[in-house]
Amino acid sequence: MAVLALHDIWKRFGATIALAGAAFTQEEGEIHALVGANGAGKSTLSHVISGHIQPDSGSILLDGRPQRLGGAREAIRAGIAMVTQETSLAPDLSVLENIMLPRLGMPGRLHWKAMRRDAEELIARLGREAGVSVTARVRDLAIGQRQIVEILKAVALNSRIVIFDEPTASLSPRETELLFDIVRNLAATGHGVIFVSHRLEEIFSLCRSVTVLREGRVAAESVPLRDLTQGELIRLMVGRELSDIYARSGAPARAVREEPVLRVGHLDAPPRVRDVSFTVHAGEIVALAGLVGAGRTEILEVIFGLSPAHGGRIELDGKPFTPTSPRHAIRAGVGLIPEDRGMLGTIPDFSVRENLLLAHLGAYRGFGLGYRLRRPAIQQLLSLLELPEHRLLDANLLTFSGGMQQKVILARWLMLSPRLLLLDEPTRGVDIGTRSSIYALLRRIAAEGVACLVVSSDFEEVIGLADRIVVISDGADVTTIPSELIDIEKLAMFAAPRSSAERTHAILEMLAEREGGVAFWIGIEGGRVFCFDRVGSNRAADPGFDRGGFPEIVATRIPAALGRRVPRFIEEPDGALATMLVPVRGRGGHEFGLIGVTVPATSARRDEAALARVIRARLEGEPARNAA
Amino acid sequence: MSKALATSGRTPARRPVQSRVVRLLANQIELRMLVLLVVVMAVLSRISPYFLTTNNLLNVMDQSVIAGMVALGQTLVILIGGIDLSVGSLTGVSAILLGLTFPHHGVPLAIVACLATGAALGLVNGVIITAGRIAPFVVTLGMMSIGRSMAYVLSGASSIGNIPASLAALTSDSLFGIPIDFLCLIAAYAIAWLFLTYAKGGRTLYAIGSNVEAARIAGLSVNLWSIAAYVVAGFMSAVAAVFLTSKILSIDPIGGVGEELDSIAAVVIGGASLFGGRGSIIGTLGGVFIMVFIRNGLNLLNVSPYWQGTAIGSIIIAAVLVERLLSGGRRRA
Repeated sequence: MAVLALHDIWKRFGATIALAGAAFTQEEGEIHALVGANGAGKSTLSHVISGHIQPDSGSILLDGRPQRLGGAREAIRAGIAMVTQETSLAPDLSVLENIMLPRLGMPGRLHWKAMRRDAEELIARLGREAGVSVTARVRDLAIGQRQIVEILKAVALNSRIVIFDEPTASLSPRETELLFDIVRNLAATGHGVIFVSHRLEEIFSLCRSVTVLREGRVAAESVPLRDLTQGELIRLMVGRELSDIYARSGAPARAVREEPVLRVGHLDAPPRVRDVSFTVHAGEIVALAGLVGAGRTEILEVIFGLSPAHGGRIELDGKPFTPTSPRHAIRAGVGLIPEDRGMLGTIPDFSVRENLLLAHLGAYRGFGLGYRLRRPAIQQLLSLLELPEHRLLDANLLTFSGGMQQKVILARWLMLSPRLLLLDEPTRGVDIGTRSSIYALLRRIAAEGVACLVVSSDFEEVIGLADRIVVISDGADVTTIPSELIDIEKLAMFAAPRSSAERTHAILEMLAEREGGVAFWIGIEGGRVFCFDRVGSNRAADPGFDRGGFPEIVATRIPAALGRRVPRFIEEPDGALATMLVPVRGRGGHEFGLIGVTVPATSARRDEAALARVIRARLEGEPARNAA
Repeated sequence: MSKALATSGRTPARRPVQSRVVRLLANQIELRMLVLLVVVMAVLSRISPYFLTTNNLLNVMDQSVIAGMVALGQTLVILIGGIDLSVGSLTGVSAILLGLTFPHHGVPLAIVACLATGAALGLVNGVIITAGRIAPFVVTLGMMSIGRSMAYVLSGASSIGNIPASLAALTSDSLFGIPIDFLCLIAAYAIAWLFLTYAKGGRTLYAIGSNVEAARIAGLSVNLWSIAAYVVAGFMSAVAAVFLTSKILSIDPIGGVGEELDSIAAVVIGGASLFGGRGSIIGTLGGVFIMVFIRNGLNLLNVSPYWQGTAIGSIIIAAVLVERLLSGGRRRA
């Protein structure tokens, strides 16, 4: 029997009908995806389930009994909890206090000892890998860890149903994996999980069934995901075919390769940016790929004059460029589309029109407003954005959908005909239907000769959108690679921060020293070697690639060994080098590339089996996989 | 923070069903003030036959000049989400400068010295608040104390008399039957209105108060205009000092006491949000008039002056409540 069933839910906000007969059914121990384009009502429906919003009509059955959820507190009592995207934690309280916060609102005396025991048990059960301690102050935790505390808080209420509202939006791939482990654990222990997201790859890897909303109605109810393809799901969400959401029209416009518009050399801006070099040409989309905290946003901030550089060089159109303020950068032809549209991109008290003209106001040199000068440009932009003119007079940009807000903010900069556009997570919080139109817009902007520098944590987006990818890890560029040469897995390994690659690095150091050669961590794909890490400087044992390199196998010095890929020393035909390669697997059982060591052929030792065992034991043995 | 959360929530905001009239009043602070003014005037003229006489109206104009000048500067500061508690003290200290200068250098130069003092101390406020990133409440509270103290130090705690006739003429002369000082007030508000509506700097003040980070990223000169708001507030305090001197024909270190609260009250009654980004200079002028009317009306009715505070205070709170109801509870004022 269904734990939770909603039928014929209607909800109207003013003139907008958010839900028009929506329905939803949740089974016990099931991870159920709730998807839909922005404005489809998925957020409203999840808030109805969590008691935050009262439906106008409709029935809610909990264990088959009619239930009226008068508010969030009643929903919590009924065993329904919600994990929101913007965490609702108190930053100055400890993890323990935050987890137990809802209990503070319940009658009766508090039993700190028991609460602490419960919290520790919860962490042991769900969040051990995240390294969260009950006494830590929430302020000191990483975003991913905060999210986990939020989940623990929900579970601590003995919730039978936990709703996740776009939980991975700000998480790195590693944190996402950790979160998914927790979600699977939850489901395995009998909790029902409702997963609201618009990242399809996540839905497919995590959820069992899906309910699709479109314009407040159910487009598909409780369909098993194994019966659907991504394309079919997209069609259900947007009601039409999306042949290619990344709008790539054959080869990118790379014909014009003159001087780069932007050249960044050894940029140093502590604490987050250490040593970053890359270029962006006119007409090109370059992505800074990496995890949250790798320093990507900070690179944009330096280029836009929001924070100072400590060392290194920035050149704009071949001339040295040291921006001292956003104003300075804007006058030099740079524009920034920040990640947080609400907090950094919008003036809430201005009309949409004035928000559109905001960057013009910043760039305008006269005393007056000069709005009239831009009238022709506005007309042109409106048709580009597919925005009806009367919406310009709307009092508040924040009532627009995320995608439309983003388009208005993009248009704000286009009006100034920039040389270089910096975009920080341009599609965050934008649904898949609108995303494709933003990609198309960016392509068009690039095609008109604007250099685009995009920061994104979504590796699929990075590969789909960018011409070239600069991988950033721990404030330094690891490699720059054309996007058609790389896949998501390789990108994630390049981007791995020192903290998570430490174990591999230690093994490489051990190998290089013990064998007296060069040790490396690589991936192989399409006849190329992707070198994620390399230790050892013995010239005589150089395999022919460095960290960040991605040469073709035939161009390396060890093609024979790379062709065989076996955990034995393989001598190259010329007899100079011998190389041993050990394929390794990650925690989740997925391929994790190869660990290899190259030595001069004469000094190759023959205890290969023991060596392979040591590598595997140190890489795969610890920490033990969660018993899921 | 709270305002960003209130407006950017993911769930659609609950909008009350509004009639057209309510919507019009909600969106047009100026219209709302006009309606309120007419109502107040109608009530007062019904209660007291003396209210609408020329003499009393001249009296009302006279009383609104000083409060109005100070409230103008205060409006700009509140628009950027700041507050200036030092305006009263700056009136006091710049009046003393006026009194110390005119016996030796003549009235024109003395007025320049007075205005320069106000603007300079406003500049100090603005630079410390903006460059030092210190809460405006704290900085201007400090300046409030410093200004008053300097007024006593410079004057030796005694009042200055023998105000020249040319200075007195500022408030005693009139043009087409309207007092010169009142014409100056109207001119100042007209300039401020034009600036806030049609100049880049004016819109920048609104943008700063609404979302300073977004304004900075759009390339607006956030620091420059933030400082400018405090400079204008200091300058207008000094303008008030000139008219105050001209009116009471004596300069006292205690001049301008309480102006800070009066000016903030006028701005709030005028519909501005203390969080910044929302407000209107015409609304502030209306707020000044309403406060003067209420005081004047209570006088005409022979109500004890001790009741004035209660009346004004109630209006402040009522104004904010109305603002909140009209804006559908979206924002705190």
